[in-house]
Amino acid sequence: MSLLPNAWHIARREYRQRTASRTFVIVTAFLAVVGIGIALLPVLGRLITGDETTTVAVHSTDVQLASTTATTMNQLLNADGKARYEISAADDPAAADADVRAGRIDGLLTVTRAADGELSFEALTDASGTDQRLFAVRQAVIQVNIGDRLRRAGVEPSEAGHIFAETPWQVTPLDPNSHSLEDNFGANYILAYALVILTFMAVITYGQWVATSVAEEKSSRVMELLVTAATPRQLLAGKVIGNGAAGLTQYVVVVAAALVGLLAQGAVAQYLLGDKAGAPLEDVNLLVLAPFGVFFVGGFALYSLLYAGLGSLASRTEDVQQATGPMLFIGMGGYFASFIALSTPEAAWVKVVSLIPFFSPYMLPMRMLISSVAPWEWAVAAGLMVVFLAAALWTAARIYSAGVLLYGQRASLRSVWRAVRVDR
Amino acid sequence: MSLVVDAISKRFGEVVALDGVSFSVEPGHIFGLLGANGAGKTTSMRIVLDILRADSGTVTWQGQANTELPRRTWGYLPEERGLYLRMKVVDVLSFFASLYGVERGAATAELEEWLQRFRIPDYRDRRVEELSKGNQQKIQFIAAILHDPAVLIMDEPFTGLDPVNVQLLKEAFVEMRDRGKTLIFSTHQMETAEELCESIAIIDRGRVVVSGPLKDVKRATGRQVVRLATDRDGNGTEWLDGMDGVTVGVRREDFVELGVPAGADPELILRAALDRGERVTRFEIGEPSLEEIFIEHVGRPALAEEDRHLAAPTREAPAETES
Repeated sequence: MSLLPNAWHIARREYRQRTASRTFVIVTAFLAVVGIGIALLPVLGRLITGDETTTVAVHSTDVQLASTTATTMNQLLNADGKARYEISAADDPAAADADVRAGRIDGLLTVTRAADGELSFEALTDASGTDQRLFAVRQAVIQVNIGDRLRRAGVEPSEAGHIFAETPWQVTPLDPNSHSLEDNFGANYILAYALVILTFMAVITYGQWVATSVAEEKSSRVMELLVTAATPRQLLAGKVIGNGAAGLTQYVVVVAAALVGLLAQGAVAQYLLGDKAGAPLEDVNLLVLAPFGVFFVGGFALYSLLYAGLGSLASRTEDVQQATGPMLFIGMGGYFASFIALSTPEAAWVKVVSLIPFFSPYMLPMRMLISSVAPWEWAVAAGLMVVFLAAALWTAARIYSAGVLLYGQRASLRSVWRAVRVDR
Repeated sequence: MSLVVDAISKRFGEVVALDGVSFSVEPGHIFGLLGANGAGKTTSMRIVLDILRADSGTVTWQGQANTELPRRTWGYLPEERGLYLRMKVVDVLSFFASLYGVERGAATAELEEWLQRFRIPDYRDRRVEELSKGNQQKIQFIAAILHDPAVLIMDEPFTGLDPVNVQLLKEAFVEMRDRGKTLIFSTHQMETAEELCESIAIIDRGRVVVSGPLKDVKRATGRQVVRLATDRDGNGTEWLDGMDGVTVGVRREDFVELGVPAGADPELILRAALDRGERVTRFEIGEPSLEEIFIEHVGRPALAEEDRHLAAPTREAPAETES
């Protein structure tokens, strides 16, 4: 029997019931707000902490040394013209020490010249080891030290400027299509990261919806009427499409809110902070997301179909978690593999695994963003996805038609196997 | 052409649920599938509906295999009632009708008529969960017939209904039969079956022990029942216990019911009474009740004594016995 029109009737009912529920509306609104919040986090973070001026006192028994060090560091640290560092020479070490301890200034840098002329630096601060500002100060200190060594070695200051000049450096990628060396790599990396998380959340959350909806029909015994009126395939397809559309509605609302937040980052930063820094995704071409959309929908359908099949083995909604455990396991596998793959996108195993339909929705867009995907790989992955979808519909329909009328039995691998083998 | 169930068998693992079940139902008849709990009634119905597949045997309706027939041939009222509780009555009913290809407009007109008939027209826009179990069951019945199926299959349709609603449902059965529909229902309430059915099958432990038109089933036993009353009402009838070939059934306030085996002449009882000088006020020769026939074939009543209170018609009886 053909899938339509019953799959459509079922999908429409699922969609309406799902989206009309108060929970759906509240959760969607909440997630949208969270999405905007996360998108604006870098700007908001800077609003709270980032605009402070870092003040450091430099002390040395050699007053001249303290003053030149402070001047050089001021130049180096404020090279971006934002005047976020204020480095000054301090005459009274005890007073400066007290200022650091009282939190009036951020740090005290003590410079000592040893008998052989070498400089040593000691910083007193409560900044943590991962503090970006401490890192910047240290970089400046290294330059001060090298400059001092050059001067002592007899290099003219005019020449020293040349020594510190930038080194020309260029990498020719083996793969000319790879994104891994582009200027906006950082932004692509963040986007790839976000896509992996969003894909994982979508397939697991919305897959659970489908499974729960199946189990609810089973526990409310509506199932027996449904299987009389429609075929298992129609029911499965309708459920996956209906819940999928509802999930996608939520997803699109949340992602759109987050995108608006991201796109507004620059404007918000301009308004609140007076500059446009911290808008990392502004230079990402969102068109690259088109193939992601296709594989996302495919992966979503694949997970949902199997979720529905396994959900039909649960007699009560409480048993859904247990029955659908294998799907969570596979989903988590793809999730963690993607995170490992983020640092080694060119590895052979990543290329192979990223073609497998359970993982391609995570890994192909990720590879595309931070590395590259050959056209034949897209084709193979798409072909495999179609084959897996057909197999999943078949398998899920078997499990489903056997599972929907089984009550009170614990879902186990054996029962799944029996369900697939036995002809109703 | 009739509905023919031919030698269907079904095992669930080690359990033999059906063992060569056969029966046939004439079109336009009301057919009763009688049996105790676990006898195989529900499994038989599910196989007819092609929700389950038999291990062997066939089901045909008007010569066509049930696996080939469109789903809208059948209307089904499952034993375990179930509807979408959070949906409005009108939405649930149109949804199920739509699955059978009935347009929403047509479905709405039809369902309003039925709500009227069942005296719950105001519940059209209520959520199902707001309705009492009895009323939910009426909605369930409407869900089974809205697409105008040729064959209506109902599993224990009267369980959990109060007497008023039982009567309404019986009238609906007759109405459907008069429209030319074929009705099959299972029950373990013999009185109901006796009242409604043209033909029956008694099923026990996965086998049909007897089936056919109700009249034939009754006649085939050969047994007869005599109801005897004298002017002393039910008193002074101890002499009946001594009569050969007569079994005393029930002693009521005002009459005694006697079983007469096949071949014996019931008039012997009347003669004996008159010979004793009794003044006979009632002498009635009847067929045995379906209950008696059931016990004769199965060896025990359809309903165990401890189950009777569950099946007794009460207001708000549990329609759902969730496991």
